[in-house]
Amino acid sequence: MSYDIDIKEVRRNCYRQSKVRGEFMLQMRVPGGVIEAKYLSFFQHIAETWGNGEFHFGVRQMVAIPGIKYENIDAVNKYIKSFIEDIEVKLCGVDMDVNDNGYPTIGARNTMACIGNRHCIKANIDTTDLARKIEKFIFPSDYHIKINIAGCPNDCAKAHVSDIGIIGVTKTEYDYERCIGCKKCVEACAHHATRVLSVEKGKIVKDICCCVGCGECVLVCPTGAWTRNPKKFYRVLIGGRTGKQTPRMGKIFLNWVTEDVVLGVFKNWQAFSAYVMNNKPEYLHGGHLIDRAGYNKFKEMILKDVKLNPEAMVAQRVLWTETEYRSNFNVKPVTQD
Amino acid sequence: MSYYVSVKRMNEILKELQKHYKVYAPMRFEKRGRYSDTDLIRYAEINSIEDVVYDEKSDFSPKEVIYPITQALFYFTEYEYMESKVDDKKILIFARPCDINGFRRLDTIFLKNGGTEDIYYKRLREKIKFILMECGEGWDTCFCVSMGSNKTDDYSLAVRFENDNILVEVKDDEFTNLFVDEKEIEFTPEFVTSNPTKVNIPEIDSQELLEKIYDLDMWKSYNSRCISCGACNAVCITCSCFNTLDVIYTENGKVGERRRVQASCMHEDFTTMAGGLGFRKTAGERMRFRTLHKIYDYKARFKDEHMCVGCGRCDERCPELISFSTTINRLYDEVEKLKKGEATQTIEQTASTEEVK
Repeated sequence: MSYDIDIKEVRRNCYRQSKVRGEFMLQMRVPGGVIEAKYLSFFQHIAETWGNGEFHFGVRQMVAIPGIKYENIDAVNKYIKSFIEDIEVKLCGVDMDVNDNGYPTIGARNTMACIGNRHCIKANIDTTDLARKIEKFIFPSDYHIKINIAGCPNDCAKAHVSDIGIIGVTKTEYDYERCIGCKKCVEACAHHATRVLSVEKGKIVKDICCCVGCGECVLVCPTGAWTRNPKKFYRVLIGGRTGKQTPRMGKIFLNWVTEDVVLGVFKNWQAFSAYVMNNKPEYLHGGHLIDRAGYNKFKEMILKDVKLNPEAMVAQRVLWTETEYRSNFNVKPVTQD
Repeated sequence: MSYYVSVKRMNEILKELQKHYKVYAPMRFEKRGRYSDTDLIRYAEINSIEDVVYDEKSDFSPKEVIYPITQALFYFTEYEYMESKVDDKKILIFARPCDINGFRRLDTIFLKNGGTEDIYYKRLREKIKFILMECGEGWDTCFCVSMGSNKTDDYSLAVRFENDNILVEVKDDEFTNLFVDEKEIEFTPEFVTSNPTKVNIPEIDSQELLEKIYDLDMWKSYNSRCISCGACNAVCITCSCFNTLDVIYTENGKVGERRRVQASCMHEDFTTMAGGLGFRKTAGERMRFRTLHKIYDYKARFKDEHMCVGCGRCDERCPELISFSTTINRLYDEVEKLKKGEATQTIEQTASTEEVK
């Protein structure tokens, strides 16, 4: 069969080109990766009616249905209207027109997150809730950004390799009277984290400078002397990425900021992207935009009208360290020695 | 006499009481639990009757009120010392039957163990009166009935919380005046008579049997399961071990305080002697010690009752999901086998059972 398809338009509609001519894979957004199990039968219906009967747990936690023929895309789009309405509008509060045409843009990628404190004993934040709150600031938008949210500094969600990575951190508080000096927290910190705890005169001393806010001391404390401050805090990393040219780890941008600050950053994301790309969205994702603008311009624009909480810390500079696949400064053929 | 008291009136009575009493009850500390967005319920001084968490089991026991986790005994300088002081006010504690029975165990340890009374315990203990909190049905980890600690008459007041009202039995004449204007009713507290969790206490009647129990393989299964954190001891109403240490304030080393701090027999260094020798090196050995202490040693020494009151807090608080009631029942089964001369479970069998679970 002869096809004449505008691949880019179809991609923008969240269908990815298959190596099989005329077939596509639908990618459905699931911000934070958690939705009610009832949608499983919905996905099953799409896969068995229009796809090849399989589905893929997308690497960014979207639900992907491969093997959809181009001529069936209209039917699929009509069918997923209720899903887009449920997830984007009702669950995430996105202000968008939901119609028979499917997803309006692929733009901002699905925000992925670990299961967070809805389940995990280590997590400090409700990652699902945050992903849903962020959705309305980044979607629908043609500006490309990858956001990963991790419930704790263990970073199972790989916030370190996303354009903007969020990590839930906790400011632990110490009750001197409740502490029995058993050193369990000291051992836990040394084993899991950054060795910031030590014992002095039978009680615990903390080097607050290097505490990563993981909460391991709380988990192991037998007397409840260590507790989390009920206020939620976040670390924000920027510029991490995978990729062929210059993969790199994200670097710390903000630490100990509140949810309001995190959401404030995302509120400014589209304006910053528009500035860097002169209002013409390109297929270029967030970290590259920060590179183009330079860190100081990024900081200025992304923190515009954001009221930082008193505990907040902001990076004065970013020391990027990239894997230079493009220049290969250091890696040469052996014959050139 | 018993009375039907509105929350509003109860708060006024509380204000009156607080002129002479510090009133402690289980209170909710929001988002202070072990895991994110979980609450911690522990004893603290209440400000109003609404502060009392009566419909959940507290994470920690009321022992902290009278036996503080950290307690200064006396302060010293080069040539003099000064004993620490306690507040002049008397103390009222909202407590459940298991905990009131638990206080009797603490009394035994601190006041009737050897020839000396512990004055630091006694000076607070003498101030205490109990407000019995009715349990209703209890909780699924409770095994107070098996331990015989589900009932008590050692209380001054007893309360049942019922929506916006509180049913109060006044047993202690000291408090009668406070309730004269309240509506009289028929009320005496009801006690839990059956728990979903039941334990069988092994009858250990000979030194020979005791020695065989020491060598049971079941203890070894805890070497990998138990992380020796001591949370079970911290929440236990009857755990009373402490360390004593001198904390020196100044650089010349002549001014400071002698302090005692609660300790845990599940910690690796609990039996460490000067020179580094320790007696219970593995988590399993420490688990054996704690188990036998709670359901054998104490009764062998003091006769009347076992130390464990079956509050089940250790089950609830263990981060590794080790159940003490299950441990007791497991020991019972092993002891029955020993008595019948049957082979006991080997460590290999124990390990495979764990894996299946």
